[in-house]
Order: sequence, then C-alpha cells, then structure tokens
Amino acid sequence: MRKFTAIAAATLLLGLLAAGSAFAAEVIQGKCLEMNKEAKTLTIEEYDINFDKDFKFGHPTGINTTVDVATAKVGMEPVPGDTLRIAYIVKGDKKVALKVMNITKQNLMKK
Amino acid sequence: MEWMYMHMPISGVNILWPGLVLIGFSVGVIGGFFGMGGAWMVTPGLNILGFPMAFAIGTDIAHIAGKSMISTVRHSKFGNVDYKLGIVMLAGTMVGIEIGAQIVMYLERVGLVGSVVRWVYVVVLALIATMVFSDYAKAVSNKKRGEVGAHGAEGLTWYKTMHRIKIPPMMSFKEAGITCSMWLPIMVSLFCGILAGFLGIGGGLLRMPALVYLIGAPTHIAVGTDLFEVMISGLYGAFTYTLKGRIEIVAVFVMLTGAAIGAQIGTVATKYAKGMGIRVAFGLAVVACMVSIILKQYKYGDAAAVVILGAISLICIWICKIMFVGAAHELRMKKAGTPID
Amino acid sequence: MRKKLAKLGGLIALVQVVVPSVLLAAGPKAVDLVVVADTRVLTDGMNRYFADLYNTDILLFAVWAVVLTALMGSVLGVLMDKIMTSTGLNLTKRKIIEH
Repeated sequence: MRKFTAIAAATLLLGLLAAGSAFAAEVIQGKCLEMNKEAKTLTIEEYDINFDKDFKFGHPTGINTTVDVATAKVGMEPVPGDTLRIAYIVKGDKKVALKVMNITKQNLMKK
Repeated sequence: MEWMYMHMPISGVNILWPGLVLIGFSVGVIGGFFGMGGAWMVTPGLNILGFPMAFAIGTDIAHIAGKSMISTVRHSKFGNVDYKLGIVMLAGTMVGIEIGAQIVMYLERVGLVGSVVRWVYVVVLALIATMVFSDYAKAVSNKKRGEVGAHGAEGLTWYKTMHRIKIPPMMSFKEAGITCSMWLPIMVSLFCGILAGFLGIGGGLLRMPALVYLIGAPTHIAVGTDLFEVMISGLYGAFTYTLKGRIEIVAVFVMLTGAAIGAQIGTVATKYAKGMGIRVAFGLAVVACMVSIILKQYKYGDAAAVVILGAISLICIWICKIMFVGAAHELRMKKAGTPID
Repeated sequence: MRKKLAKLGGLIALVQVVVPSVLLAAGPKAVDLVVVADTRVLTDGMNRYFADLYNTDILLFAVWAVVLTALMGSVLGVLMDKIMTSTGLNLTKRKIIEH
C-alpha cells in the first residue's frame, strides 16, 4: 500500500512536470506604440536585453510586434509610450498574449 | 561584487543572497531558541533587501509552511491537538488568511501596500518589545523577592467571561475540556488569520495566548493545536499568495534550508542557556527590526539593511556560542565518563 | 481521509471564491497588478521552468509551490533528525519549544 502511494505520488509529480514544460510562453518587452481597442490588439516596439543606466529596460531594436490581447490578463491600462512586458504564445499565425505587465505604471521596485 | 547578488526570476529584482541566507538562518536560530516564530523579522527583512512588499509577505508565509512541516516531521506528530477545536478554528483561520491577503492585494492596487504594512509592523513590533521587556522586569523583581517560576499572567481568567457568551451552536471540546459557543474559536482564529495573512506570519504569537486566555485551553493543548493551525494556515497562505503571483519560490528554498539548520542550533542552545541577558538581547533585536523598518520607510534603505542584518547576526552569534560551548562541554564530559544532566 | 481531503478542497475553493467577491464589492474598484516574469534573461533550467510556469499556468505553479515547500520541509526535518542524533548530544531532555 505504501509503495503504491509512493509510486502514485511520483507519477503525479512527473505528470505535473511534463505538463508544465509543454507550455512555455515567449516574453517580449518594449514601448507601447498602439492599443487598438476594436481589434483588441497591442503593438509594441521590442527592446533587447542589454540593460544599462540610460536604458534600464533595454535598447530599442526597431522590431514592431503586434499581439492579440482579447483573452489576456491586462493590468494597468497601457497607453502609447508605456514600457510593457508581454507573455504570449503562438497560435497559428497569431501571437496571443497571456499577460500584459505595465512596467511604467506599476513600478514594483518602489513598493 | 556581482556574484553577491542573486536574480529573482519572478519579481526580477537582484537580491543580496548572503542576506537571504542570513535571514533564514537567524529566523531558525532565534525561533528555535525562544520558541516563538521569528517570522516577524522575515517580511520586513525581505522588503529591506529589495523584495516588493507583497512578494515579501508571500515568500515569508510559504517559508513558514515549510518550517512547520520540519517541526511536525521531527516530532512525528503535533503533540496534543484537540482536532475538533483545530478543525473548527481552521475555517476561521483560512477565511482570515484570505481576507488578509485580499487586503494586501487591494493596498497594492492603490499603491499603498509598502507603507501601510510597514507601519502596522512597527506597531506589532513595539507590542512585542514591550511584552518582552515587561516580562523581563517581572522576572527580575520576582527573583529579588525570592519567588521562582511565577508566570505573571497565570491569574487571568478572561475565558470564564467568554464562556458565558452563549450564542448557539454550543460545542464541547473533549481534549481541551471546554464548552463554549462555536463562534468563540471561530472569531479568535479569524482575527489571528487576518493578521497572519496580512503580515505574512504564522500567527502563533497571537493565537497561543488567545487559546489559553480567551478560549481557556490548557497550555499543552494550546501548543499542539496552534502548531496544527500554523501548518495548515502556512500551506493555505502559500497557496493563495502563489495563486496571486506574489511569491519568490527560489527564495523560499534558500531561506528554508538556512532555517532548518538554524533551528537545530537554536533548540539545542536552550539546553545550555542560563540567565536572562539573552532575553534583553531578544527585545533589543525586536527594537532594531522596528528601527530598520522606519529607516526603510523614509528611504534609508542601506542603513535599514545594516541595522537589521547587524542586529540579527549579533544575536545569532550569541546563541551559536551558547550552543557550541555547551555542546563541547557535554561531549567532553561524556568522553570522560561523567555525563552531565 | 479521502472524505476529509474532499471537504478541505471544497473549503479552499469556497474561500477562494466567496471572500474576494465580498471584499471587492466593498471597496472602490482598482485594476489588479499583473506581473510577467522576464524569462528572456533566465538561463538556468530550474528558474526558467518556474518562471515559464508562472507566466502560463499559475494554478499549476501554486500547486507546485505548496507541494515542493511541504516536501522540502519534510525532507529537511528527517535529515536534521539524523544529523542531530549522530552528534551524540543527549537531546531527549531538552524542552521542545519550536515553530
């Protein structure tokens, strides 16, 4: 009985592990260019990950990315100019956002 | 100096990891030695190290869950638990934790969580310090009068009044040997739960005396039931704070390891400790923690870190010294064939 | 045991749903803060795994956090017990005041 419980627990844990690794979301960070409320899309200019004193959130790369935010959990409302961090997954040819973090408006470090 | 900093994957802050280890270890040592949580220094400590307040609370509460698992496993059981009382209180505790956590989330939304939690902490720590110092003063004056073992508050019988409140349903708890309205333990645990969820502590600091003085449980039952309550509330708190996304799991593991080692040193040291000086040191550590929170509130972050880390290191070194000197002495005696105790 | 677990699960679900809705009704409405873990800068496996999970499936992450914390506590408890016995100190007579 004890052995059975142990095996069951181990299987469950491994199952959880496998299920988790299947969903890895892409993360991008950058400046909000447009928030389209009708189409429910959000466009940002991506930043890279070279942070320094003048570019605390990375340097602009010139790559513009549009994500679908219809089903996303969006925090404080993004307006053009805000620095955002977005987690998205690719579904077909669409990038579907899961969460949108407004770095400019909710400066976590100050709380 | 970059290697001194550890990147926290979720909140994205860089944390001085020796500070993290030190806080975990100290909480273990101090908690083990004085027999009270010690979690009160973790939330402010983490906040001072750079965690956003909500993350500090969530991480603290999860580390409490782990720590209570350690002591439960070590004693293979909770000791004397009135399970009926424990389960009735569980309802209040869980609802309380959730309310506390929701208040934190609300304050975070309106941008006040840091300062409000810090000021509540200052008040709570002031109360603890007062308690410790007045206990010490009482013990000193008792000693002068030649009384031994007197425990000041023994005469308090508030629970008799509490038991007279007869709001149905009435319940009797066999292990604890009390009969009272079901709402009494629920309200007590609800209040303790709110405080625990709000401050990220186990709540034993409040629940223990409440069990004894307000509910009227015998001390040994109160200890066991409280531990049971701390474990469940810690696990629930960890769950709900994680669900709200306010936990730094890596930091929990780092602190837990430190706390496990520290707790052994602290508990063993109680065996060799003599005198009351260490109680004063404890009171001073609480005051130092309070001062550092105020410093942090007024944006003197570095000074705050120095004060709190310095104070807890000093008291830790003192307790470790008691433990190692005592243990070395005992082992030497044992080798010589004259075991003490 | 299973019945008790089911009851506990029910209670947890109830608390999760009821308490927030009551409190939300009470206070003025404000927007929830959303946190996205920056997985771009994470290279090592464990951190990356947890941060990914945090972004995609917070419920699974919560279950993991509780299970792992409880597990780690238990393992450390057993381990410390072994270590303390091996030191040869007499620990049976000490007062147990913990947590």
